[in-house]
Amino acid sequence: MHISEGILSGSVLAAGWLGSAAGISYGLKKTDTAKIVRTALISSAFFLASLVNVRIGPSSTHLTLLAPMGLVLGFGVFPAVFVALLLQALLFHFGGLLVLGVNTFIMSASALLVYVLFGKFIRGGRYAVVFSFVAGVTAVMTGACLVGAALGMTDGNFFTAAKIIIIAHIPVALIEGVVTVFLMSWLKKSAPEFLS
Amino acid sequence: MKGETFTLNIADYSTITDCETSPAVTLACAVCYALAVSVSDSLPALCLASVLPAVIMCRKKINITKINIMNAIMLLTMILTWPVAREGFVRGVVISLRVNMIYVTFAGMLAPLGIGGLYSALILPEKLRVLVILTLRGIYIMHERFSAALVALRLRAPELRGVMKLRAFAYVVASVVLQSSRKSERMMYAVTCRGGFGGFRRDVNRSVTPRDVVMCAMFAVYIAVIVGCNYA
Repeated sequence: MHISEGILSGSVLAAGWLGSAAGISYGLKKTDTAKIVRTALISSAFFLASLVNVRIGPSSTHLTLLAPMGLVLGFGVFPAVFVALLLQALLFHFGGLLVLGVNTFIMSASALLVYVLFGKFIRGGRYAVVFSFVAGVTAVMTGACLVGAALGMTDGNFFTAAKIIIIAHIPVALIEGVVTVFLMSWLKKSAPEFLS
Repeated sequence: MKGETFTLNIADYSTITDCETSPAVTLACAVCYALAVSVSDSLPALCLASVLPAVIMCRKKINITKINIMNAIMLLTMILTWPVAREGFVRGVVISLRVNMIYVTFAGMLAPLGIGGLYSALILPEKLRVLVILTLRGIYIMHERFSAALVALRLRAPELRGVMKLRAFAYVVASVVLQSSRKSERMMYAVTCRGGFGGFRRDVNRSVTPRDVVMCAMFAVYIAVIVGCNYA
């Protein structure tokens, strides 16, 4: 889901940075000082999850854990994703520093959407499994659609490539959905304070 | 778990090295150059912009194999999806050039600064600075536990497949996060004791040296020439 350097136009890069800056500042304001440790932990988990490759047939992919991040952190997901992506860009050159704003916005907005749409239902209990699965799928597919939108806004001819990206994310979204179901059920049983 | 690979070698990057120029100036110059390259479309401008990465490549050994594998995939996608195949190829080559130039420049200019140098160069708010420290520390702690848990899982249940494998992975992630939580609280106390959230001090020398001024001037001229060449 990382967009590389050198692909997006200047206006898309600027829009990404503006959206991310607004999200990060609001997220930091909403994040309690006492909860900054939890934000850092989830950010670390997001960073590490991207290094674990899971095989799908002959290919392999890595998990994003976007939905669990959004459901645990709420608005705090913006600074968490920003820090994780910054460290990935600096340490491994995944993504890049210029596209950091766009990448942060894409992933954080997807996670936040899941929190807003499904947060209450997943914490509530009834049909939590179904909502967790839908949340996991929605987070990844929203991210893929936003990547496609960023590419499409750069150049109209990128739309076909954007369609390929969205289709390629369908198996990843299904896997994320399953992982989100198990993660949320485990957290609800063993550490409900994480979802409070 | 068979099929999962997990590698993390960040020790090499986390050293703080002495730099000839200020980290903030180096970062600013690299970012401005990358911005100029990413808005350049014309081949003369890109040829001019490739001088800096070429000089860096002559002086330092930078591995560009991995990034070019990704480029090849992208180039293939562009050729297959662009309305006219030749245009798609040209567009793909332009993007590949840009990606390589930005990658080499960042790797050549920013990697020697180390995380410490870059961290000092970035002007971040207090909470975000503490978040960076805690996340970096959390990565080390969780990486250790995560690796051990994955090895244990692989040894105990090598036959796991499909949904069961994903369930095991989800439980590993959740339990590692929970286990690390207690240690992280101690990290937080340490941050508070050292002055975090009450004005976390950064021991950064922000004085501008003549070398910084020369570097800024050279980059300003270079970037102006690239941009001018692109729009001429």
